[in-house]
Amino acid sequence: MLLRGLSWLVAFQLAGTALNVLFFPVIPGPIIGLVLLFIYLMLRGRVDAPLNEAAASLLRYLPLLLVPPAIGVMAHMADIQADFWAITGALIISLVVSMVFLGWLMQMLINRQARNKGKL
Amino acid sequence: MNLNLQAALDAVIQHPLFFVGLTLGVYQLAVAAYEKTRWIILQPLLISMAVLISVLLALDIEYADYKQGTQLLTMILGPATVALAVPLYLNVRRVRQVLWPTLITLFVGGLFATILGVALAWLFGAETMILKTIAPKSVTSPIAMLVAEEMGGSASLAAVFVMLTGILGAMFGVELLRVLRITHPAAQGMALGVIAHGIGTARALQESEEAGAFAALAMSMMGVLTAVLMPLTVALIT
Repeated sequence: MLLRGLSWLVAFQLAGTALNVLFFPVIPGPIIGLVLLFIYLMLRGRVDAPLNEAAASLLRYLPLLLVPPAIGVMAHMADIQADFWAITGALIISLVVSMVFLGWLMQMLINRQARNKGKL
Repeated sequence: MNLNLQAALDAVIQHPLFFVGLTLGVYQLAVAAYEKTRWIILQPLLISMAVLISVLLALDIEYADYKQGTQLLTMILGPATVALAVPLYLNVRRVRQVLWPTLITLFVGGLFATILGVALAWLFGAETMILKTIAPKSVTSPIAMLVAEEMGGSASLAAVFVMLTGILGAMFGVELLRVLRITHPAAQGMALGVIAHGIGTARALQESEEAGAFAALAMSMMGVLTAVLMPLTVALIT
């Protein structure tokens, strides 16, 4: 079961890689694979058990799989130091402002939709 | 008896599985620390990074060697990224009633958050590489890392920015929104999911099931939209 689901994921990843080379050089292969799988699921209308099992197993360990590429930050200590305050400022201010904006926007749109439905 | 300890140690360190074993061990310790304390700041990825970097520096090991030695793990990252389509699909199905408010908030809010982050960093004088790396800061790490690298930024640095944004958003987001009377579960969920991705989603789930569902959807859609639109936009501009 697990193996069948994994085979599907690998197949979609490889299809993504092919399309990356053929048509979309700027979009990473795994992302194209993700979009392809999403379209496939929309058309199919459900997630089959093997695929669900394989996806859940892999996603459980996603942070582990990200550790090796993330260690590459070793090479960027100087870059961080050079722009430390710019990075900190940008991260914190944009976080606060955009969170408030997003929450406000969503709440406003939902309330408006509820009001419009009430009128009908 | 004269045991050759040095030779044994060298053999272990040079074994093709040494770095995989080291990474697995450190990661499990980090997960245990997080599960025991439940402190948002002890994200297993972040703690593993800190510990492993210290170990590599102490043993005087180059990153290139470590990278070479952990290909076994890196290879599975592609299929795992593809697997993100499954939760995305399941979440889209769950929130169909308010699909339009959700989509509008995602597009407008996601774009706003991204532009604001880059604009501020630029205003504060950060160099181009940092700008390209900070752009996908609100996106789940596997996607942010791919996108940052694709645009000429740094994948590893993107992981750090993503983690910091997620931790800060999850630590203070709900409280901040509550002070400003933004208390609708869907609104809380969207804000947490779009800005603070997976870490924010975990926090939203603590608030309510509904907030969690919206956060999960927002996180997946924000990831996919950024992954597709950001490199295309950058390619068109330059």
